[in-house]
Amino acid sequence: MKDIDDLIGQLAQEGGAVKPAPHPITLSLKWMALSAAYLLVLLLVSGVRNELAAAFEHPWFAIEVALLVAMFIATSVSAALLSFPDMYQMRRAVWMPMAVFGVFACVLFMAWRADIPPAPLPVHGFECTLAILMVALLPGTWLLYAMRKLASTHYQWAGSIALLHAFSVGALWLRLQENNDSILHVLQWHYLPMIGFGILGLWVGKLILKW
Amino acid sequence: MTVRSDNLEALMQQALTGDQAAYAKVLHATAQLLRPFLSKRLLFANDVDDVLQEILVSIHKARHTYDGQRPFTPWVYAIAKFRLQDYLRSHYADDIKHAVDIADLENDLSEDVTETGITYESISGEVAKLPEKQAAILQLIHQEGYTAKEVAAKLGMNESAVKVAAHRAYKVLRKRLEET
Repeated sequence: MKDIDDLIGQLAQEGGAVKPAPHPITLSLKWMALSAAYLLVLLLVSGVRNELAAAFEHPWFAIEVALLVAMFIATSVSAALLSFPDMYQMRRAVWMPMAVFGVFACVLFMAWRADIPPAPLPVHGFECTLAILMVALLPGTWLLYAMRKLASTHYQWAGSIALLHAFSVGALWLRLQENNDSILHVLQWHYLPMIGFGILGLWVGKLILKW
Repeated sequence: MTVRSDNLEALMQQALTGDQAAYAKVLHATAQLLRPFLSKRLLFANDVDDVLQEILVSIHKARHTYDGQRPFTPWVYAIAKFRLQDYLRSHYADDIKHAVDIADLENDLSEDVTETGITYESISGEVAKLPEKQAAILQLIHQEGYTAKEVAAKLGMNESAVKVAAHRAYKVLRKRLEET
């Protein structure tokens, strides 16, 4: 008991004024603004697909992009909540990306069923995964760095969601930039690898966010 | 000193502005709050103290993630559970790493220590220097005559864990007695 009293005395002496972390919604808005600005710069540099307006007339493409944006928002909010030890006592909101992902999977399945005759497969393959990875590196790194300053008690989950946020930026960029209508190609080289990187995030989170 | 839980939010807000007295009160109240929580989950008092210290240090490190705008106790318990799980994970990982073949233990436990001319009483000073758990197990087996199974039931452990702890204690005692 004396040890505990000594420790409390020592911690109280070290306990100067501390600026509380911003509200998670403020944090996630900040992260989203940074990611959106990055995406915008990338699109300005690389250019958008030449028939983007026409592509948005296809409902499945429009829904797919809308759900990618929803994933981008949901993962940002979830990552911010997971950075607090108690998830800011908003545990249900943390599950948002899972709900969006469920709808996204259904939409991709229906888009695949509606793809008759199938759109021609592009000649490239893994290059898309590589491009998404390269684009995701920067937002992934700074998001994990920002989350590390807080105190996640669910560090594996937090790492996974952080990587999904970064890869949603990459996936959005490529979908708006690449002239490609093959749903099979985007499933195989855009979204399946994204799930893989989400799983890898469990390990990354343990490595970087453990405190 | 007991601080009502609804005062903890206000005290913690004061602590965040640099009020050291308020911070000490919050930490004392938190320690009081968590001690029964840990005692229910850990068998030995020194384990409770160890984990409690780790939790208090974690609270100190993570205090910037509390802003006084939400209940304080769920925030504290989230950190406490996190550190307790961490402690239990490393504790059991350590147990597995140092696991001993049960066959070896059976040999050790069948040995009659009194036949060697050494009685429990003659080495009780050395036994007292062992970790609390090991000392308690040896006392129950050799002074009070309980079997490993009975000791396991009494201490809320499983029989193998009792045998492993006893085996480790014998090894330490043997080494110490050889040195003297």
